[in-house]
Amino acid sequence: MKAWRIILAIAGIALGAFGVFRLVTEIPTHSLLILLLWLAVALVLHDAILAPSEVGVGWLLRRHVPDRARRFLQVALIMSAIVAVIAIPMIFLRGSQPAAKALLLRDYGANLILLFGIIAVVNLILYAVQVRWDRARALRQAQGTSASR
Amino acid sequence: MVQQRPGWWPRFSSTLRSTAVTARIGRVLGIAIALLFVTGLLSHYQYEPWAWLPEPAKPVWGYRLTQGIHVATGIATIPLLLLKLWSVYPNGFRFPPLRSIKHAIERLSVAILVSVALVQVTTGFLNVLNWYPFPWYFLTVHRFLAYVLVGSVLLHVGVKLPDIAYGLSAKVAEADVLTEIPWNENPESHSNAGTLPNPPTTGISRRGMLTAAGAGVGVVILTSVGQTVTPLEPLGLLAPRQWTKGPQGVPVNRTAEQAKIMAAATSPTWSLEVVGPRPYRLTLADLDLRVVHEARLPINCVEGWSVGADWRGLSLLEVILQAGGTADSRIQVISLEEDWGFNHSFIEGPQLSAALLATHLNGQRLDLDHGYPLRLISPNRAGVLNTKWLGRIEVLS
Repeated sequence: MKAWRIILAIAGIALGAFGVFRLVTEIPTHSLLILLLWLAVALVLHDAILAPSEVGVGWLLRRHVPDRARRFLQVALIMSAIVAVIAIPMIFLRGSQPAAKALLLRDYGANLILLFGIIAVVNLILYAVQVRWDRARALRQAQGTSASR
Repeated sequence: MVQQRPGWWPRFSSTLRSTAVTARIGRVLGIAIALLFVTGLLSHYQYEPWAWLPEPAKPVWGYRLTQGIHVATGIATIPLLLLKLWSVYPNGFRFPPLRSIKHAIERLSVAILVSVALVQVTTGFLNVLNWYPFPWYFLTVHRFLAYVLVGSVLLHVGVKLPDIAYGLSAKVAEADVLTEIPWNENPESHSNAGTLPNPPTTGISRRGMLTAAGAGVGVVILTSVGQTVTPLEPLGLLAPRQWTKGPQGVPVNRTAEQAKIMAAATSPTWSLEVVGPRPYRLTLADLDLRVVHEARLPINCVEGWSVGADWRGLSLLEVILQAGGTADSRIQVISLEEDWGFNHSFIEGPQLSAALLATHLNGQRLDLDHGYPLRLISPNRAGVLNTKWLGRIEVLS
């Protein structure tokens, strides 16, 4: 494993350094500075805002939603968040392009709500099935207990 | 060391996170990044092929496939990356934050990896959406940043190889909980305390979380890939392009208005200048006599969308032969458009022999936005290199 680690590290550093070299030699300084700013802002936006928000939502759910319902809510929220990440930029940029490009023409806001709705309905159905199933099992167990008495 | 933490130091209690979870997400993400890198390099090759290895003309759907994969994978990588970062977020809160020079370097390399990955997928997606809130030329920075990204990934895999080996071999439900305390310093961790009951997950299970994330990414792919896999267009709730809405059933990336060629392209005195050992001109009337070739070829954009279309026009090779060129010539086709980097392209080898100078698209005369009166179309060729509004063709060798 050690040999692999060294090979991977050297190859990675070499390729990365090549990329940095090409950037520094071929991109104007002004653009490079803005690129550095983008890199820093991306890290801060993620580590200081997005990731803590995810942790916060998880904490709130754990505090306020019962375990069984939380499972389905978590599935719905994970799926919805993934879909929203892709849809939100398109909602903002919708209609920004000449018609002939056939680009960003759809009503992405409505489509996102539709996807949220589908995800919610599917999870509600699965939740309802789970509740019924749990009830039936509890009933069977209760009957089993009374029969054995 | 654990006890020295100040009381306000963040503590992560979720049992969902685990090296086993991270390693599995990381494996998918790593495969995605490898796919992106290879298809990305293939795309750059379209723009700068080596003279001795010109881009092939077969399969005609080659670039459609590789660039379709590039953009679909790139879109799917955005949520995958965020998920991966969620799974290791507590690692950022180890105490003390910097233990040694080695630890500081490792954290710096991770910071570079994370920031470059975030910027790379974000700007890639913004390019698909044709929005450029940055001053640099997208193509160049995207390419060189890819080297930095893949280099950082290789280094990261090298550094984390023991964790990856543990994570991939451990069962998802039983493996150590990943918190701000490294497992080897935590006496209660699964690996140190011996055989323990699985870490309890009161809400969703780890496997359930991975399944939900996979389903979410699946929905994203299914609802966006219709811009490339044309039969799925009706499902394209999140597809940036909608090929059915383009003029003559084909979108464009640069309109006649943007190119400012309206007057020149619609002029009745337009003619194509063919420059070679035997130079000549083709007028609009000449074109009509020579439009006998037909081809069904996809137009495939670097931004991932593509659509098959019926093209009719002249054989480029015949036009070149008449000017004294050969099938081995290197050709430059030049647009009427001025002041744009892609107002010309070079074509040679198999693509030259297969290329059409198109006058008709899907049974109609080319729309002005599609390059009226004459454009290049060749198989397995990046969309932007199929130069529109041709005014001049040069036999270079």
